[in-house]
Amino acid sequence: MSPRLSQAFAVLPEYLGWHVLLSFSALALGLAISLPLAVAASRSARLRWPLLAVASLIQTIPSLALLALFYPLLLAVSALSRAAFGAGFSALGFLPSLLALTLYSMLPILRNGAAGILGVDAAVKEAADGVGMTANQRLWRVELPLAAPVIMAGVRTAAVWTIGAATLSTPVGQTSLGNYIFAGLQTENWVFVLFGCAASAVLALATDQLLGLIETGTKRRSPRLLWIGLGGLVGGVALAVAPLAAGLDRTQAYTVGAKNFSEQYILAELMAQRLEKAGAQVSRKEDLGSAVAYRALAAGEIDAYVDYSGTLWTNVLNRKDNPGRAEVLKQLTAELKRRDGVTVLGSLGFENAYALTMRPDRAKALGIASIADLAGQAPKLTLGSDLEFLSRPEWKAVEDAYGLKFKAKRSYQPTFMYRALMGGEADVISAFSSDGRIAADHLVILTDPKGAIPPYDAVVLISPKRAHDKRLIDALQPLIGKINVGVMQAANLSVDRDAGKASPAEAAKALDRQILPSP
Amino acid sequence: MAGAAIELSGVEKRYGGVLALAGVSLTVETGSFTALVGGSGSGKTTLLKTVNRLVSPDAGEIRVLGQDVTGADPHLLRRKIGYVFQEVGLFPHLSVAENIAITPKLLGWDARRIDGRVANLLGLVDLPLEVGRRAPAALSGGQRQRVGVARALAAEPKLMLMDEPFGALDPLTRDALGTDYRALHERLGLTTVMVTHDMAEAVLLADRIVVLRRGAVVADGAPADLLAQTADDEVRALLEAPRRQALKLAAKLGGAA
Repeated sequence: MSPRLSQAFAVLPEYLGWHVLLSFSALALGLAISLPLAVAASRSARLRWPLLAVASLIQTIPSLALLALFYPLLLAVSALSRAAFGAGFSALGFLPSLLALTLYSMLPILRNGAAGILGVDAAVKEAADGVGMTANQRLWRVELPLAAPVIMAGVRTAAVWTIGAATLSTPVGQTSLGNYIFAGLQTENWVFVLFGCAASAVLALATDQLLGLIETGTKRRSPRLLWIGLGGLVGGVALAVAPLAAGLDRTQAYTVGAKNFSEQYILAELMAQRLEKAGAQVSRKEDLGSAVAYRALAAGEIDAYVDYSGTLWTNVLNRKDNPGRAEVLKQLTAELKRRDGVTVLGSLGFENAYALTMRPDRAKALGIASIADLAGQAPKLTLGSDLEFLSRPEWKAVEDAYGLKFKAKRSYQPTFMYRALMGGEADVISAFSSDGRIAADHLVILTDPKGAIPPYDAVVLISPKRAHDKRLIDALQPLIGKINVGVMQAANLSVDRDAGKASPAEAAKALDRQILPSP
Repeated sequence: MAGAAIELSGVEKRYGGVLALAGVSLTVETGSFTALVGGSGSGKTTLLKTVNRLVSPDAGEIRVLGQDVTGADPHLLRRKIGYVFQEVGLFPHLSVAENIAITPKLLGWDARRIDGRVANLLGLVDLPLEVGRRAPAALSGGQRQRVGVARALAAEPKLMLMDEPFGALDPLTRDALGTDYRALHERLGLTTVMVTHDMAEAVLLADRIVVLRRGAVVADGAPADLLAQTADDEVRALLEAPRRQALKLAAKLGGAA
């Protein structure tokens, strides 16, 4: 088996377990909520259309957005509950994913449930009343059994949707089969992407077939088929979720976070491997959004991750000035401690700054060496950026300082942004200065004479509850000041390059050997 | 036991602005077989359904088996009254035997008593015992309505309400079922109220015919007396129709009818 495939299989029990737990919990909860609503909708025409309209409306919200919306919502609710009862809850991971997927599963169950109950022959309903059934007896003994095949068809649709949409819970910090897809997309590990798609498709198909067995069982009134289907589902879920139970004893475990690009995966792996070497249990939460990562750390949902001083300076502290690299770091360390209790352990030793970057031939032809040069020619040029740059204050600062007006602006996943630059679809991109591709492709970084872009020292952040955790600090302290930009670029390139790719874990191991040679 | 099985007084029912029952008063004696006759929209089905509260009246008083029904729990009342209607409404997900057993089950009879009762009823409605295991869909129309009658009789009700019970059956089946039911009515000492639009059926089966028009009783009496008593032309025409038909049939078939 190829090493990448065996890597994929190695994490399958964990990813699949979470995926099954998440999607089946959402489905069960969706069923528990939708079925009573369907009964209510079948009883009252006045209730029916608003219920169905709301469920349809929810369905029109893109599932990724629905998942993203639950995070701030739960964060606010958690803060309220902390204020009221002294205890909050995790707004990241399982809960927002569960709630969003539950909402997502409701429409088909609700619609088919109401239609199924309404579709029961009027004569049979009259007979149920005539023989002396109460409304409840009529529902349970006559209407639901007769509507069961239609309801089951709705459950099948909901199951397939939910299992597919559950892959999108990765960015809000919930491990799922989506981890393969998101990580694979970032590191151009197509084996991972395909593996994630296939695993989720197989899971959806298997679930659909078992539910189909139950549906046929209710249609043909065959208890045997019904029990085979039900047994298969319960057995399958138990089997898939079992590996998670082994990891349940996680009270002492650490969680290391990462945002959604290669450098972050490598550094998270580096920290996690060092903790594991020190005998700790470590779980990894990858692909977190920028703002999500810091809040999750402040709330103690992750224990450590690497962020960049400029990002924290502008986005967390809302500062627009630029007092210089050392001063930014100093003030940041004091402010984050004071405000959120977050520890800035120190800078790793390199910067990963936003850097407006051009292909060398283009820069030379247009005579551009600095952002000031760029300003004059920008109206003829196209800017390529990553997905968040254009909405960040750093871009606003650069735009204002130099009066930049581009002909067009396009956003890409980081990987595709470099492709766009090389292919000429973009003339300038918002690259990252520690990206290995800058050196490998001899790209030109435009200088920033006005100092509009703040410094971006990579810093290790520690959550408030781990501020005095000796094991964590002992494991991470030796990294401080040890990684220079050349070393980081090389590590990033080993993961990002097209041929002979390393996995982030392999790159982290190599990095560890390089910066801290074993005695 | 003599006395009234059903006492209605001043029963009114409106659907939207339309008056379906315009203050009907009627007493049905225990042990009688009463036919409610009338055209469509006459209110005969609505009147029947007020007795087991499938329809709630807007005004008036209804006593069934000595009890005021407006105060009672409808489902408890219905378990004491057999109800048979044209579409039968057998539960398609239950076997014939389970269909028949439904009311005794709701009443909490023990399993042995229910099994005995189901076997007994299948015999009573002239169906072989093994039909009990079949699904309703596997039966003919006539068999289905026999099961409908058996189901209505299952909890040993004293009162039977029938809404055009044989209306959807072919003439032969209809005749056989009607005759068989009348025999059951005698044998079990039932009180029966049957809605029909077919005067011939009413004359053949019932002891008493009540004719309704636009929600009111326009004629009421034993079949033989009714024609002599009524002054209403329409009722007269309705009553004479079966006789005219019989005479015509006799003439065409050569006097052997």
